[in-house]
Amino acid sequence: MSRVSAAFRSFFSILFSGVLPEDIAYQFGFTKAKAVPATPAREAPKASDGALQILHVLQRDARLVDFLMEDINSYSDDQIGAAVRKLHADCRASLTRHLSLNPVIDGIEGTYQALDGSKTPDANRIKLIGNVPANGKVPGGTLRHRGWIASSVNLPSLGKQDPAILAPAELEIE
Amino acid sequence: MPEFVIGIDLGTTNSALAYVPFSVSNGDRPEVKMFGVTQLVNPGETAELDLLPSALYLPGESEFVEGALALPWNERPPYITGQFARKRGVENATRLVTSAKSWLSNQSADPTQPILPLTAPEGVKKITPLEASREYLLHFRHAWNQAHPEAKFEHQSVLITVPASFDPAARELTQRAAKFAGYPEAIILEEPQAAFYAWIERNPNWREQVKPGDLILVVDIGGGTTDFSLIAVTEESGELRLDRVAVGEHLLLGGDNMDLAVARYAEQQFAQKGTRLDAIQFNSLWQQCRAAKEVLLSGSSSLPEEHPLTILGRGTGLIGGTIRGKITRHEISSLLLDGFFPRVNADAAPERQRRAALMEVGLNYAADPAVTKHLAQFLRNAAKSAGSGELARPSHLLLNGGVLQAAAIEQRLFEVVNSWIQEAGKIGVIELQNESKQADLMHAVARGAAYYGLARTGSGVRIRGGVPRTYYVGIESSLPAVPGLQLPMKAFTVVPFGLEEGSTIELPQKKFALVVGEPAEFRFFSSLSRKSDAPGVLLEEISEDMDELAPIEVFLPPQDNGAREEVVPVTLESNVTETGMLELWCVAADGRRWKLEFSVRERADGVSVSS
Repeated sequence: MSRVSAAFRSFFSILFSGVLPEDIAYQFGFTKAKAVPATPAREAPKASDGALQILHVLQRDARLVDFLMEDINSYSDDQIGAAVRKLHADCRASLTRHLSLNPVIDGIEGTYQALDGSKTPDANRIKLIGNVPANGKVPGGTLRHRGWIASSVNLPSLGKQDPAILAPAELEIE
Repeated sequence: MPEFVIGIDLGTTNSALAYVPFSVSNGDRPEVKMFGVTQLVNPGETAELDLLPSALYLPGESEFVEGALALPWNERPPYITGQFARKRGVENATRLVTSAKSWLSNQSADPTQPILPLTAPEGVKKITPLEASREYLLHFRHAWNQAHPEAKFEHQSVLITVPASFDPAARELTQRAAKFAGYPEAIILEEPQAAFYAWIERNPNWREQVKPGDLILVVDIGGGTTDFSLIAVTEESGELRLDRVAVGEHLLLGGDNMDLAVARYAEQQFAQKGTRLDAIQFNSLWQQCRAAKEVLLSGSSSLPEEHPLTILGRGTGLIGGTIRGKITRHEISSLLLDGFFPRVNADAAPERQRRAALMEVGLNYAADPAVTKHLAQFLRNAAKSAGSGELARPSHLLLNGGVLQAAAIEQRLFEVVNSWIQEAGKIGVIELQNESKQADLMHAVARGAAYYGLARTGSGVRIRGGVPRTYYVGIESSLPAVPGLQLPMKAFTVVPFGLEEGSTIELPQKKFALVVGEPAEFRFFSSLSRKSDAPGVLLEEISEDMDELAPIEVFLPPQDNGAREEVVPVTLESNVTETGMLELWCVAADGRRWKLEFSVRERADGVSVSS
């Protein structure tokens, strides 16, 4: 096995599924604790499956993909508005059913928000903008956007459904 | 010993389950809760919902990806039950079963024959209305056992509600469906009574709101049926006593008919603009009309005058195909309020002529959609049979059913009932209200059933009612036959009005001769208004206020011991079980007994048994 190929395979395997490929692990002297067969021979879900599933759900419940893929240049704002009002309501209902979305900082936008000035804020949760001091430690700032956090995700298991099919073709028999 | 009382509202369009523990440790009042029913909502996706839509979908073999229909208790269920059944049924209506309950009380088709879905294509294995009802009940049992493995459904005390107007055959079919679904012996309770118990449950101080002499009118408008009952408040040794004194006729007319009427109207508006809607678009329109009704008739002061109706295009073009319309408050008021709840006088009578808009193949929908006319007739009949004037005058009104979420409908009903009563210079009717009204309108029947189940074991209040009708067996006169003339029928009173649970009545007045090994059939009649006919009384003719039901049958099997006796003289005995089921028995002189079966066959001119 070439070093480049092994390195790349290891990199992507760890990135996407969090484990070293078994043959590489073996070659480098790592052995696995005897694996307990969890579910019998099911194909491991790919990282993209969840993303596709969300699109599938939003298309099914609210026809979001139809909307995004449609060329809307020729329609008036009025026409678009009528459709989007329903689309918005459906998308929102679908989204709130499957994810629970909360603000990262539950404050009033435009007002001062105090932070713990003794340490740098978690870059995942808080993005500092403007006049940020060199050490990154700030006592607070004006809340410009509250942020969003998906505090829980409730998506059904895909089972044997093909995640790549965002919407099946529909044929009506007259 | 059961841990819970379970109340099940087996509805025409939605079903629900409420439950309450028999006892709580800290001595508080046990609390009635709604059960979140796990059901399929999309392929591969289940959710817990308070309502289980009474819809059953018969999936084709390769219609869904493997495992997409799995439920926690069944990897491969033969049918889809609930929310997803209704959803998929919109796209493929020929495999959808709905309104199974209406078929149980239908006299034009046999509910034990596989007839549903009516329009199923050749090759689809149809099911019977009885099996469909069983599937809903079965779903509840499985979902319960999934959620409460420590308190198995089979060991709990179970109540099932039926319309007050259900005849004995339909009640027995409900009981049979429960048995098929593996239920313990279930208690049958009338829906308007359940709605009233729910009010009592929500209002622990209810004794302060009513007094002896009051008459409570319960109007229960379900998805598919409308039911009226009158409950009288009396006093017995210092305690308040409740008696259900009258129930209305079976009225196949409910909230779904009303929403459908609005949707059909809107569809016509679209058609006038040259747009034809397909089934899926029409369903979307139907949902939006329901929402529009609730917004426009909400009774709030800042009412919008109109509600938009948006039908998205089919195909991948979403905006290109979108059709816009609207419905105004004026239109919806005249459709619903004036169509279904018109202001009428107390002497109004429903028309007998059928309106085409309400027809569906096979089911006998109410000919006149005006609920208020049916109500006026009910109150007049109730007064007539009680021998107390022209019109029964309720002092209180209790309204129940999802359609009343539109407050303007509730106000209209209140107003109309009041107009009848105030005509005579009396004080108006008082509306009984619940605190958390909106949720209650959909769940009250199930909640009330659970509460009643608890009350009947303890000291809680019970509505006394018994059988809401008088029943008769038809007996042919022994006159010489005249060609071309039907022999006059006499009516033998077998069940008096109000016969209570757990009581038995012997009828030695009339002997019948039954032939061993041959099925015998009796013609069977009932009356809602003849309340004073005593058991055993023979009436000279079938009067106009009696309705003929399907015949009742009995079969005396031949004896095993070879002693062949050809004819057995028997007398009749009627009895109401503790679970509220009416039974009729044939009793021989030596004590042998045979049960008369309520026939579910199509009503025909049966051969009556000679006396």
